This record gives sequence, C-alpha cells and structure tokens, in this order.
Amino acid sequence: MHFTIDGLPIYFPYDKIYPEQYSYMADLKKAIDVKGHCLLEMPSGTGKTVSLLSLIIAYQMHYPEKRKLIYCSRTVPEIEKALAELQNLIDYRRSQGVEESFLGIGLTSRKNLCLHPTVSKQKWGKTVDAKCRNLTASWVRDKVNENVELCNFYETLESYDPQELLPDGVYTLEDLRNFGKENSICPYYLARRMIPFADVVIYSYHYLLDPKVAELVSKEMSKDCIVVFDEAHNIDNVCIESLSIDLTKPNLDAGARSIAKLTEKIEEVKAKDSEKLVDEYTKLVEGLKAAREARDEDMFMANPVLPNDLLEEAVPGNIRKAEHFVAFLRRFIEYLKTRMRIQHVVAETPNSFLLHLRELTFIEKKPLRFCSQRLTSLVRTLELTDLDEYYALHKVAAFATLLATYDTGFLLILEPFENETVPNPILHYACLDASVAIRPVFQRFKTVVITSGTLSPLDMYPKMLSFNAAIQESYSMTLTRNCFLPLVITRGSDQVAISSKFEVRNDPAVVRNFGQILVEFSKIVPDGIVAFFPSYLYMESIVAMWNDMGILNEAWKHKLIFVETPDAAETSLALENYRTACDNGRGAILLSVARGKVSEGIDFDHNYGRAVIMFGVPYQYTENRILKARLEFLRENYRIRENDFLTFDAMRHAAQCVGRVLRGKTDYGLMIFADKRFGRGDKRNKLPRWINQYITDTATNLSTDMALVIAKKFLRSMAQPFDDQMGVSLWTVEDIDSKQRGSSHLSGVGFGGRIIQG
Amino acid sequence: MSKQYKYKQAKITEEFIDVDDEIQNSTQQTGYAWEEEYKRSWDVLQEDEDGSLKRTVENLQHRKRKRLFRDTATIRRGIIRHMFLIIDLSEAMMEKDLRPSRLDLTLLYAEQFILEYFDQNPISQLGIIVTKGGYAEKLSDLTGNPMNNIRALKNKKNTDADGEPSLQNSLEMARSTLIHVPSHGSREILIIMGSLTTCDPGDIYDTIDNLVNENIRVSVVGLAAEVQICKLMCKKTKGTYGVVLNEAHFKDLLFEIIPPPPVSATQNKAELVIMGFPSSVTDASPSLCACHSKPTIGGFICARCHSKICDLPTDCPVCELTLVSSPHLARSYHHLFPINNFVEVPWNNSVSSTHCFSCQIPFPPLLGVRGGAVPIENSGRYKCNKCHQHFCIDCDVFVHEVIHNCPGCLATIH
Repeated sequence: MHFTIDGLPIYFPYDKIYPEQYSYMADLKKAIDVKGHCLLEMPSGTGKTVSLLSLIIAYQMHYPEKRKLIYCSRTVPEIEKALAELQNLIDYRRSQGVEESFLGIGLTSRKNLCLHPTVSKQKWGKTVDAKCRNLTASWVRDKVNENVELCNFYETLESYDPQELLPDGVYTLEDLRNFGKENSICPYYLARRMIPFADVVIYSYHYLLDPKVAELVSKEMSKDCIVVFDEAHNIDNVCIESLSIDLTKPNLDAGARSIAKLTEKIEEVKAKDSEKLVDEYTKLVEGLKAAREARDEDMFMANPVLPNDLLEEAVPGNIRKAEHFVAFLRRFIEYLKTRMRIQHVVAETPNSFLLHLRELTFIEKKPLRFCSQRLTSLVRTLELTDLDEYYALHKVAAFATLLATYDTGFLLILEPFENETVPNPILHYACLDASVAIRPVFQRFKTVVITSGTLSPLDMYPKMLSFNAAIQESYSMTLTRNCFLPLVITRGSDQVAISSKFEVRNDPAVVRNFGQILVEFSKIVPDGIVAFFPSYLYMESIVAMWNDMGILNEAWKHKLIFVETPDAAETSLALENYRTACDNGRGAILLSVARGKVSEGIDFDHNYGRAVIMFGVPYQYTENRILKARLEFLRENYRIRENDFLTFDAMRHAAQCVGRVLRGKTDYGLMIFADKRFGRGDKRNKLPRWINQYITDTATNLSTDMALVIAKKFLRSMAQPFDDQMGVSLWTVEDIDSKQRGSSHLSGVGFGGRIIQG
Repeated sequence: MSKQYKYKQAKITEEFIDVDDEIQNSTQQTGYAWEEEYKRSWDVLQEDEDGSLKRTVENLQHRKRKRLFRDTATIRRGIIRHMFLIIDLSEAMMEKDLRPSRLDLTLLYAEQFILEYFDQNPISQLGIIVTKGGYAEKLSDLTGNPMNNIRALKNKKNTDADGEPSLQNSLEMARSTLIHVPSHGSREILIIMGSLTTCDPGDIYDTIDNLVNENIRVSVVGLAAEVQICKLMCKKTKGTYGVVLNEAHFKDLLFEIIPPPPVSATQNKAELVIMGFPSSVTDASPSLCACHSKPTIGGFICARCHSKICDLPTDCPVCELTLVSSPHLARSYHHLFPINNFVEVPWNNSVSSTHCFSCQIPFPPLLGVRGGAVPIENSGRYKCNKCHQHFCIDCDVFVHEVIHNCPGCLATIH
C-alpha cells in the first residue's frame, strides 16, 4: 500500500497495516526530522522491522541527503530476517514503479561467510579469522612469488574496482555467499568494502559498540547516518561486556608463552633483516600524527580505547624498541601472576592498582596505555601468522590499555576462588558504566533509534546510557481478540504464598505449590509449555525436589519434560525434541532459565508455546561482586537506586521470557507470573505497556485453582475460529486517510487504535 | 434433593432443539457443588437502556438460529456413509469441567448422536472405537443398526477411563476397516478427544498421510483446548475441528457432523449400488430370524434370499445385500436438496403478516416507532423466499432441523 505521512510518500509492502505500525512510523519520522535520538517500544510480532525499514527507506529516497541506515541487530538469524524483510520491501517498491539505485548488505563474521575450502571448515570463529589472515595479510601477499598459499577468493576481489564490485540490490547473507561463489569473490571482504557505498548496512551490535571491531569496520560511517539498535533491551549489558575483560591464570600462562615466541621471532628477524625493526622504530617516533589528522577532519568515529589525547603523543620511548616492549610485557604479566596468588577477594580502582604496579615494577601508566597499539604494530612488523595463538597476549595488552585509559566507571575485582571453594583465580576488569562504550555512537550520529519489544520503564535507558531522547514512546497492541492472557498467581491452591524469595525458595510448601502449578497447567494447556526459573542453580535444586516429591512423574503423564543446560549443543538438541513433541501431539514442557539462551533468542510461536510460566522473579544474583559494584556506581553517578535497578532488570527479563509466547496477532498464549511479588503494583508497572494493559484487576492476585479456571476458559475461547481484524487492528489505505483527516483537527490526541475488551 | 435440582438447572442452560428427553434423564449424575466451576450466569444478562432484558433474550434466540445457516446449494453428497466414532477414554475424561463429567456427557451425547445419525442417514453405517491406556479397542464394528452401537456404549465395562489415549493406534484401527469400504460410500472418522496428549507408537504423520491418500475424512471435537496435531489432521483430511465452549456447544459441534459431507472430486464418479427393499411380514406363529436366531412374529423378508430379519436398514446376514426401506431413502434425500434458509424480515416490510404461518402464534406488534425511528432489533418474522410466507423463529428452526419441508411451499403446490 502507498500512503503519506506529513508529505513523505511511503511504500508499505503489505495491503494492510496495524494502527501501532502507523503511529510508530509517524513518531520515527518526527525523530529523524529533528535529528534526535529516540526510544520506541513496540510489542513483538507486530512488524516492527518492516515499519522501521519502510519509513527510513522512504526517507532516504525522498530527501537528497540520502542518510545511510545502519541497522544493528543481535543475532545472525535476526540479521537474516531483517535482510529478507528489506529485500521484500525493495521488491515491492520496484513493483510499484519506483526507479532508484539502492544497495543493502549485511555483514557477519568470517566464520559465517567464508568460502575458502579449508578455512571455512574450522569450527571456531577465532581460528577462521586467524587462518584467513594467514592467507590474506598484506605481507603474505607481498611474497606472492615465493610460492606461498593465498586465498583465491580474496585475490579476485583485489583485482576489482570497489566501485563496481556489486550491482544494486539487497543481498542477504546467503545471497552474498552465492554471489561470492559465482564470481569467486570473498563475500566477507566484499561486504566490508561495500559498506561505504551501501544505503543500508545490517550487522551485529558489536561492529558498532565493541571498540576493537568498530575500529576496523565502522569508523568511516558519515555523521548523518541513522543508527538503529533493534532488540535493544539488553544494550547496556552489551556495552558493558564490550569494555570488560576477565583474565584467568591460563590466559596469563599462554600470554607468557607467546612472549617467549615473540622474543625468538625478534631475534630471528634481527639476524635476517634488522631494517624492518628500525623502520618500525622510526615510524613510532613520528607518532600517530596521521591518525590525529584524520580525526581532526572528522573522518573517523572516536574510538573509546584510543582516546583523543593518546593520538597527540608518540609511543613512549621505553617500549619503542621491540625487545624493550617484549620485556615490558613480560614484567607486566609476571606482576599479574603474583597478584593472582592472593587468597582473598580484592576489589580496587584502576588508580590504586596502577599505583601498586608502579611501586613494585616501575611500570608507568603511559606506556601501558600504548600496549595494545604497540603489540599490533609489532605483529605487523614481524609478519606473524596464526594469530589465534597470540589471543591471550592480545587480551593482556587490551587489558593494560583499558586499565590505563579509564579511571572512573571501572573496577578491578580479583576473585581467587570459584564458588568460594575451587581455586581458580580470575581478575575481572569490570566496566560499570554502560554509557562509556556507546558514548561515541551518540556523539557521532545525529539519530540513534533504540527499539525493542520490551524497554519499559522507558526513562531508565536514557539515564543509564546518558543520552537525551527526542521521542520516547511505548505502543499498545490493538487486538480484535485478547490473544494473550497474563495471570499473576500469588498463592497455591492451599493459600500458601509462593515466592522465589531467598528465605522461602526451598520451603517444601512453596516448591510443592510451584510443582502443582506445573502439573495442573500441563493438564490443561495443549502442546508446548515453557517454564522459566531465575537461575540454573535454583532450577537444579527445585527440579531435584520435585523429583523427590513425585511431581515430575505426575507431569510426565501429560507432557514430556526437557531441560535447558548451559551447554549450547545439549540445549539445541533438547529444543529440537521439544519441538517434535509439540508437533506430534505428545506435548512437552521446556524448563529453562530467565537469562539463558532460550529466553533471549528463541521464539515459541503457536503450538510451540501455548503457555509461559515464570517461576519467581528473575532477580540477578545479588551477591555477585561485579553487580554490587555496578549498583553502587549507578546510585552514585546516575541516582538510580539499587532496588529500582534490580527490579527493572528482573522485570525486563521477565517480560522477555513471557514475550516469547506471542509472535504475532494470530498467535495466542497464556503468560503466567507465579510469584507473590508480581502482584505488587511497583513490579507490574515496570512491565511493558502492551502486557500491562491486559492484566485485569481480577487476574493480579490469583490462587492456582482460580487461575486454572480462567485459563481453561481462555484456551477454549481461543480455539474458536476467528477472522475479521479489519478496521480495528488492521487498517487499509482508507482507514489511514480517515485517520489523517481526523487528526488534522484533533492533533495532540494520542491514539493507539480501539481496543476491544472481550 | 440436590440431584434433582441440579438436573433442572443443567437443563435450562442447554439450548436443545429436538432432544429425546428420556435418554437424557437416564444417565444424569452430578458432582458435588464445590467441584463445579464458577459460573457467572448473570454476566450473560445485560439490561438495555430502558432496563429491559428483551434484547438479551432476542440475542439468545438469534444465536440459536445462527447455526442453522447452511449451504443450501444442491451439491452431491455422500449419503451412504461409513463412520467410525473414536471416543477418548483417557484419564482426562474424568474432569468435571463439563457437567456431570466429560465422560458421562460424552457418552450421553454419543448416544444421541448415534440415534440422530441413523435417523438422518438411514442407509449409513457406524462403528465405535475407544482408546485408553495407550491402546485402541473396537467396541462395535461398522453396522447399520444403532442399537448395536448403543448397547456397546451402555456396557459399563467398556467405558472406564484410564491412562492416556493413543491417536495413532485408534486411527490405524479405524483405517484398517475403512479401506475395505466400497468406494460409493464416504469414509469418515469422528474423534471425541478430551485429552491434550497422545501416546503413539510411531510417526503419526505417516498415518495422516495414509488417511489423506485413502480419502478418509477425520473430524475432531476437542473438549479442552486446541491441539496442533488435531488441527493439522483435520485440515489435511478436509474434516472439521472444533473445541467445545460449554455443554450446549459440545452438542452443536457434534451434531454438525450429522448432515452428510459433500463428495470430494476424486471419488466423484457415478456408480450403481445394489439394494434390496424387503417386504414387511407378520406371521401367525413365531419363526426364527436370521439376525439374532430368536423366534419373532414380525419382520422383513430379504428381497434376494428370503431370510427373515428384524430391523431395517441393515445388511442381510445371509446374502449381504444392503436392505433399506423406501422411507429411509427418502429421508436421506433431503440432504441433497435442502430447503432454502429463511430470511429475516425488517420492520418496514413486516406489516403484511400478523401470525406465524405454521403455528398461528401472533407476531409481536410494532413497538416504539412513534418518533419515527425504526427499532434495530428484528421483527421476529422470517420469510421463505419461495412461498413468501412469514414464520416465527421457533418454526423456522423446526422446519430446517426436523421436517425439512416448508409448510408454505407444500400448501401452495395444489
């Protein structure tokens, strides 16, 4: 369908549009117009991606600036989905007679794209990267007449002019691979080279947020790009992870071994052609002037690992020479090793750590800062191959650089024991401030869109990521029938209050009542049930107790039971069998964990999930030292109280979990919150609006038996045939017209369609 | 005392049209009051602006009529049907969410269904399979005699609930019999399923594919919730799938299966069927019948082998000829030429009639139109488009459900 919003002609690749999609587009357009950031929450399964793409593409094509779209998603399947949606949209625009040149590409890791016959067989992403570099690094290619092995795909790519590599169109990852196969071009490097020419780039968060990767891939993005983070409810954690480093004992040992190897190599090179090392030295003396100039011209995005002041200085003298640098690193690693011998937990700020370091080893802050840079340079000079062997050393160097760069918002925690007993010292360099990693993005790009199905409460994100949102909005879901039913069960059939609170969580009465909920619902819910627990630990203990009580045997009569484990392969096997059991009518229960893989990336649409049961509130493990430090930091710097943050975090995970069950308007499912604490208003207010609006007062304080009666009735009514969403939850062009005419004199009145309460 | 009271209440909530009340009386059993659901019967009633309940009542009546709307085009239907009724006897049937219990209600309705089925499809056959504890058991083979089936159901020994049902086993059992049915008859399976799970020995998808290949239509009435595999199976085999909302809806869904289904295109070739029309005899002295070997006085004589049988329609136990009587055929005939749906008459055309044409009960007079506003609700008159006579809602339902002939049209033939 074709319509206009404020004079912007929009092609929408479907005949009908949901009212919330329309208002989403209108708000998004406002944000782009004013060049501001925005935060939009829209329920899953209502076509978020397609609304986003059709508006932004329309915007791109209509205005001469042609602002590029950078669309970041979380996982590879999600990237694929977004690309397919984009392809569909562009096809539709073509079919409507719009003549335009358009290039849309996706980018993912080498592991997913590589075509090289042996390299692509590697299992680990890191090995693929290293092997690829062995074949494509510039110094390897320089030796082409020395009969070294090269990658044919890369060589053909080199022979093309980047401008003419890829014809217009939208390329999904699969298309890229096929294109690469046909023309024997490396799809990975092809995609990377095409990024500057593409109108839409779709890739993972890390390409923008992780400083190590962003440096390579995203630094040339122009300022007026529109950046979208989809499924962004966990964006703060992604930011934090990208700047946190954990060092273990084996890491350090491997690092030490690499150093030994480096020393040998240096000796070798020295004997053979010392020219090279001298060259490098002079280059370093000249400093990073070139880099600074580039940044002055505003060509590159600021890199948080390499702050501005660093560029103005040359690499300090004591690590300029290769031997010196290696000796320096060795000393640093030895120091870290001695620190790890401590038998008690230590938490200290980077500053105090540096002070101690200087007292003991005379290592200054400044050379530490350059570690990462210097190591990269050395690797290049020595023409090292098989970089995956140097992974640990890189990690140590990155650690050193980060350590010396930031002093606020970070904390060093040394934990000598795992689970308080097993000696396995880990040195955490923990980032506490999510805004550090994302700050360059907000500073550089005028419009950053953060969107997801679950972002409530909306004001938390601008606080945590320290940005100002021009528009923040949460959309409700217009439905012709209430296709999901949230129920809050606060007590069992015997009126014992149920809760996963620490004091009562192992109380047999509570465990039995949780079990009762599972058994009873397994009787009345068809096909698949997904149950979420707050943690693996709790799940294990509760399942063991259920087994002793005979509850599992009881549930077994009605459904098969599958369990998510931390092991990815095991879990995917369990999932596969779970799906089969749902398909052939046996029915199945999947026991999983609120922060696990299942709760984040896997959809349980239709018969794969007719009910989600949330056992307990998924609070984080509050005794975790990193979390404690982060809470303290948030309180002191952003005035977010510990409790607020913990509840916010628990509720967004709960919302994520229950949101798994509903993936579209024809789907239906039960959402069961089994914990006394969900009954309280302060918890429920933090759920997304689209869930909250359907929690009726009667459904907030139920006992198991009452919930069963309501659920039964719901399931029966949902099984009745239905059609006709027209006019209410589906709009045609005429509906939009009448809406626009209506709003011209009713402007300012919020709308979200009519909601039929059944 | 409480039992009697319960029964009364249950009866009021149901919307029966023509139910044999005696059968209903026989197996009423109710659970304890505290085992029942909350029933918010007052929610159904809603006052309109004037505080009257009239509209609610009318709406209820409308709903009654709604399900009458059928496709009235004359299409070819398979009036010789072969159906297996599969009844789930798993533990889930002990639930009391349908009163008196899922199992009791199912057995009750199954009996009514069988009677009505043979009443409407006199030359068809039906068999019963039950499934429990993971296996399937045939209670009665395909037969044209309703009493055989009902007797099997009445036997308490056959109807204890236990364990889980097996969809695949029971389907395979029905299939093994139905594939031998001659191609002029339809092959159907009707499943009443209370359980949400099934315990199958193999891949049920293979079974479904076989059913599709052999033109067996599977319909399911679910008592609890929508199960994906049932939905898929019904869709693939072109059957219907319904989930009951309450007792009355259960009956509606079940009785929707009674009119014969349209013949699918693949088996749509004309074929002749040999049938015998036996003559009725009444002997002076009792003689043995061929079907039960009991001395009887009255009976029918097979047209081909002259053996005596008790009941029609049936297959002759001696020469296996299909025996029917002509009224039976005639009764099936109306499925092929259904009478047209009556149309609602709006108020402004309603002045012409004052009484229902068939029962002579006066229509409600035109009310509240003094301001010129025509009331939204209908005038309570329903018109046959052929003879243009007006009928009341009860006669409309009765004409379409029971007599299958329009009194108005019959009156104008002369």
